[in-house]
Amino acid sequence: MSTPLISVQDLNVEIKTNRGLLKAIRGVSFDINGGDSIGIVGESGSGKSITLKAILGLLPNNAHVSSGKIFVAGTDISTLDKKARRALLSETAGMIFQDAIAALNPVITVGDQIAEVPRFRLGQSKSESRQTALKLMEQVGISDAESRFGLYPHQLSGGLRQRIAIAIALSGSPKILFCDEPTTALDVTIQAQVLRLLLELRKNSGLGIVFVTHDLAVVNEICDSIKVMYAGRFVEAGNVHTTFSTPTHPYTYSLLKAAPDPDEAVHRLFSISGEAPNLTAPVVGCPFAPRCFAADDHCLTAEPALLSIATSASACFKSSGHDTWAASDSKSGVK
Amino acid sequence: MKSLKTLYIGAGILGTLIVAAIFAPLVTSYDPTEQDLMQTLSGPTGAHWLGTDALGRDVFSRLIYGARVDLTIGVLAVLLPFIIGVSLGLMTGWFGGKFDSSVMRVVDTVIAFPFYVLAIALVFIFGPGVKSIIVAITLVGWVAYCRIVRANVLVAKELDYVHAARLTGLPTRRILRRHLLPNVISQAIVFSMSDIVLSILAIVSLGYLGLGVPIPTAEWGSMIQEGQPYILQQWWLATIPGFMVVIVGFALSLIGDGLVARLER
Repeated sequence: MSTPLISVQDLNVEIKTNRGLLKAIRGVSFDINGGDSIGIVGESGSGKSITLKAILGLLPNNAHVSSGKIFVAGTDISTLDKKARRALLSETAGMIFQDAIAALNPVITVGDQIAEVPRFRLGQSKSESRQTALKLMEQVGISDAESRFGLYPHQLSGGLRQRIAIAIALSGSPKILFCDEPTTALDVTIQAQVLRLLLELRKNSGLGIVFVTHDLAVVNEICDSIKVMYAGRFVEAGNVHTTFSTPTHPYTYSLLKAAPDPDEAVHRLFSISGEAPNLTAPVVGCPFAPRCFAADDHCLTAEPALLSIATSASACFKSSGHDTWAASDSKSGVK
Repeated sequence: MKSLKTLYIGAGILGTLIVAAIFAPLVTSYDPTEQDLMQTLSGPTGAHWLGTDALGRDVFSRLIYGARVDLTIGVLAVLLPFIIGVSLGLMTGWFGGKFDSSVMRVVDTVIAFPFYVLAIALVFIFGPGVKSIIVAITLVGWVAYCRIVRANVLVAKELDYVHAARLTGLPTRRILRRHLLPNVISQAIVFSMSDIVLSILAIVSLGYLGLGVPIPTAEWGSMIQEGQPYILQQWWLATIPGFMVVIVGFALSLIGDGLVARLER
């Protein structure tokens, strides 16, 4: 097997907060290859965005990688100096953000922002970089690129802004595109357009995509594999379709159950009771156990590891009984 | 719209004063240092609009020529601290670490002293004169800009577009100049407007204390000082230069307010 483009091994991230040290990421490992499309889902605060930021070296000052290794193109990036690390990362990965207006510099025209990397990093001349930028704008589906080149971000619609942001992310021709909820701030039709664009980019140029979101439908649409995150760890990982049809972790099961189904009239929407654990305190037992319908005493004392079962992996002691959950949770009164 | 009005009124007042100062020889026919000992301490007359001082010099003419000195030094004494403070604020905010903490300790030290105590002490050390006034105000004044810009950089560097720029591997210099600076500088510009008032006030105060521009050059501070003995009879000698400071301060405040409203839109 060839070296993965990015390999994360047992990553731990700690954040200093007023209430103490918060263990935001507790042992996350995964590989990303070219052409992959991985969806990372989880609720707010589960550590999805922090995982991306840790990989890309964008952690805020109060956060740091406490242990674990990140390999980019086979090189452990902690062995590189700042400059080399930045260079390696920028060749390998690009990123798009949730809020495109915040991801664009308000005082520079969008064309100049796209042309910046070709000009100042790749050393193209002014007119060459302009051509590159126009080509990128066409590639991300912006019609009439020439006339939009000189506009400022606030003069564009939300969908166009996100396309511009994607064009900027692609301007350094990365092999992997990290997407931090890029469609959450968009309305549904625009969301579909942006997702289609990402799928096209993946198909046409073999771009790897890591998609962080809490929208399961989006993951279903554009990802092949899914990683479900809870309390700073992956609790379930596997192929999107098998995971969606036969979840092997109660959290995934509950998440899927919580997604409203338009075809079915329900009196009350299902919700997972309780709240996500406080990660400033040491985690004892399975972090999901207090909210779990399948948990027993053993779950409260030991934390299960992420183990593979058949095609997917699950961090649950009870995962072997997953095919009986639908029957048991209706009996135990979970609605 | 109201903000534009204040901006224009402020700019109008200041502009008039600057134009008058530049074309001073056309505005007044008297040499500001020419003495006429036959006509001392005269009240306002047709020939001398604001009267003459104790040495028979035309007060109006001294006022206009004084604007040259005070406005020039005022602007220069803000420009240098502005450049130094903004650059240091940008770098401390961005790089952080030991560089940041050592610069901030210097800032704390400077801030610990009252502005005038330090400025007067420095002018006293360097000797009176235009150069030492500018150097002294620069040494004291840069800290405010440094703090303002540093605070803004600390916020701005966590913004997505700065992250995006870092991720794409742009050179740091480029990120600082093109992505951070234009977005953190506005508050410093607004502050510089009120800072010009402060520095003019400092120049005038130093002039009053005899630490300013050497006599007989016309300058508002020394005019106030020279008019002080006659405050009960010829009150305008000391009052009118003071009033000029007020007008400049008023105009700059209007400009500052107008800029705030415009920049925050």
